[in-house]
Amino acid sequence: MEMEQEHVILLQKILVVLFSVALFWKIIKHMCGLLNIEKEPVTVLVTGAAGKLEPIIINIKFVCSSIGRFSATGQIGYALVPMIARGLMLGPEQPVIIHMLDIELAAEALNGVKMELIDAAFPLLKGVVATTDVTEACQGVNIAVMLGGFPRKEGMERKDVMSKNVAIYKAQASALDQHAAPDCKARKEVLVVANPANTNALILKEFAPSIPDKNITCLTRLDHNRALGQISEKLNVHVSEVKNVIIWGNHSSTQYPDVNHATVKTANGERPVRVAIANDNWLNTEFITTVQQRGAAIIKARKLSSALSAASAACDHIRDWVLGTPKGTWVSMGVCSEGSYGIKAGIIYSFPVTCEKGEWSIVKGLKIDQLSREKMDATARELMEEKTLAYSCLH
Amino acid sequence: MTELLLNDIVFLLSFDLRQWRLAKEPVRVLVTGAAGQIGYALLPMIARGIMLGAYQPVILHMLDIPAAAEALNGVKMELVDAAFPLLNGVVATTDVVEACTGVNVAVMVGGFPRKEGMERKDVMSKNVSIYKSQASALEQHAAPNCKEFTPSVPAKNITCLTRLDHNRALVSYVNHATVAGEPVRELVKDDEWLNGEFITTVQQRGAAIIKARKLSSALSVASAACDHIRDWVPGTPEGTWVSMGVYSDGSYNVPAGVIYSFPVTCKNGEWRMDNCPSLEIGRYHVQMRVFPPYLFSFYFFLGLSIDEFSRKKLDLTGAELTEEKELAYSCLSGMHSSLL
Repeated sequence: MEMEQEHVILLQKILVVLFSVALFWKIIKHMCGLLNIEKEPVTVLVTGAAGKLEPIIINIKFVCSSIGRFSATGQIGYALVPMIARGLMLGPEQPVIIHMLDIELAAEALNGVKMELIDAAFPLLKGVVATTDVTEACQGVNIAVMLGGFPRKEGMERKDVMSKNVAIYKAQASALDQHAAPDCKARKEVLVVANPANTNALILKEFAPSIPDKNITCLTRLDHNRALGQISEKLNVHVSEVKNVIIWGNHSSTQYPDVNHATVKTANGERPVRVAIANDNWLNTEFITTVQQRGAAIIKARKLSSALSAASAACDHIRDWVLGTPKGTWVSMGVCSEGSYGIKAGIIYSFPVTCEKGEWSIVKGLKIDQLSREKMDATARELMEEKTLAYSCLH
Repeated sequence: MTELLLNDIVFLLSFDLRQWRLAKEPVRVLVTGAAGQIGYALLPMIARGIMLGAYQPVILHMLDIPAAAEALNGVKMELVDAAFPLLNGVVATTDVVEACTGVNVAVMVGGFPRKEGMERKDVMSKNVSIYKSQASALEQHAAPNCKEFTPSVPAKNITCLTRLDHNRALVSYVNHATVAGEPVRELVKDDEWLNGEFITTVQQRGAAIIKARKLSSALSVASAACDHIRDWVPGTPEGTWVSMGVYSDGSYNVPAGVIYSFPVTCKNGEWRMDNCPSLEIGRYHVQMRVFPPYLFSFYFFLGLSIDEFSRKKLDLTGAELTEEKELAYSCLSGMHSSLL
């Protein structure tokens, strides 16, 4: 009896010690979090950053019926650079140097943006380089966000848009290849936003061999966020309660927003979205088309393309990639396919991924039903077509 | 007892100290002129927690004119699309009353910009009527401690933005008024530049940006607006001050009853003019222009002797502000008499 008593007391003493150590540890960790240790600045390149009216490119081949239409890419750049400078992309403790690249026609506007960035006196912004020279822009770059591209105008053939973009991305790829931060320690991450995003990323991959395939991605986070938004509106909950939507495939009208594995946080724990909404018809038709055509709806309302949400999505994409996704959550990224889920390898396809320590990995083992399979294959087919078209432009 | 201790340890290991700061009551922020350039740059900054802190949920109220209703709705759609974790709700409306209901912080970006060929009086009268109606709506419907423009709210809650020029001037000095404690005038050693080119550069920065971008400076303005509110509400860092256009009480021979830009420190949501750390020989000053057309403002440091040069500039802007005030009041009374 006495021995037992002693044991219990000993155990309690140990527990008290453990308790104090745990408390101490928590406090120290919290205090360390408050310390402002200067980190090495990360260099971020933003192409197509000028943010002005689309330059009036007088080209005898195309009838420019949309003179004065705003350049989608330029707008996104203007929304994106303050987000980067405020630490929304890489965290509030990470200093950044922003490189901005655009075409000569936009050089003055680009300089205006640089002036504004300086005016805003961002504490995390350690430098701004505004240039029209690809080489200078790519010097020492760690992260590249490619907004610049040739947007499709009315009356243009798909082949024409493709050939222009292929040329642009080929040039940028070789510049990045040669001049981006060379050593293995410094990371090199590329996010392609400009449409056709998947194929532009593919071109980049082909012509920048020194950048590992897994470092080249394209943006489908915007559609992912849009899908989350639509579901949260339908369920009348806050958007942070919904998670694990998937966007499969091409960032175009063939994309497939999949809610079969999405969950929503309720009072009784997490429930599958399909069960919570209880309206399969809406989920299989209206929901999908709304997300697919959201971009057009916004252009119709604003008369301008969706820069704010695109810039925000770009920040989310890079931030989750670099800093990691929260436990139990995945996001959609357009990444280089290596055969998962029956998708042919060698194209940039949007998958559900989790990120840890700066690396993404596709979420494996998700069940795919018949309807989803068809849609996923349809968008994969479109991507293969685009790939063939792009290669034909190259030769 | 053992179980209790075990429970405690498990709890502690899983408890995140940051959680204490979550789950606050959302703050309602009104942005007028939200469909425009500055609004477009400002709204994501608010929704990301740059204005009020990374743990403060917000509800955005967006107001604009009926002609911009569709564009406003487009911006609302985009805010929903961006899935901001701190954004608890968006109200997009063209109705002033609906927009002002329950508002805690109001940022008035909407106004009538001056176009070529317009007389100063015309611009002034348009803006006066806009702000008058917004002011009465805020007075009646905003939350009790609303900060911005209303007569019933104490005058100290009304400010105007000179932070943009403050930021611009700071950067011209490579970061701060004192570099490691030394007065900047000593370090720069170029009085002529300070008195001449520096002043004009800051004054004309806005025009320079319009010239380059062909659009006015939305990004830096939005950022400055966020800085302004962020320093006002939680407070300025120890030992620093910022410029805010605030209600003058006559200090430094500045005409009372107008909105002047002063150096202020902020604490607990209140600003104070007299708490700025004094500079040894801070004999320089900066003259600023704010948001043409309605308000000029003047910025100066307290605790220093104002020399001849400064005094002249001070009086100049003082006179200009009083003139604008009279013009505005004449527009108001003109409107009153037309209503009768």
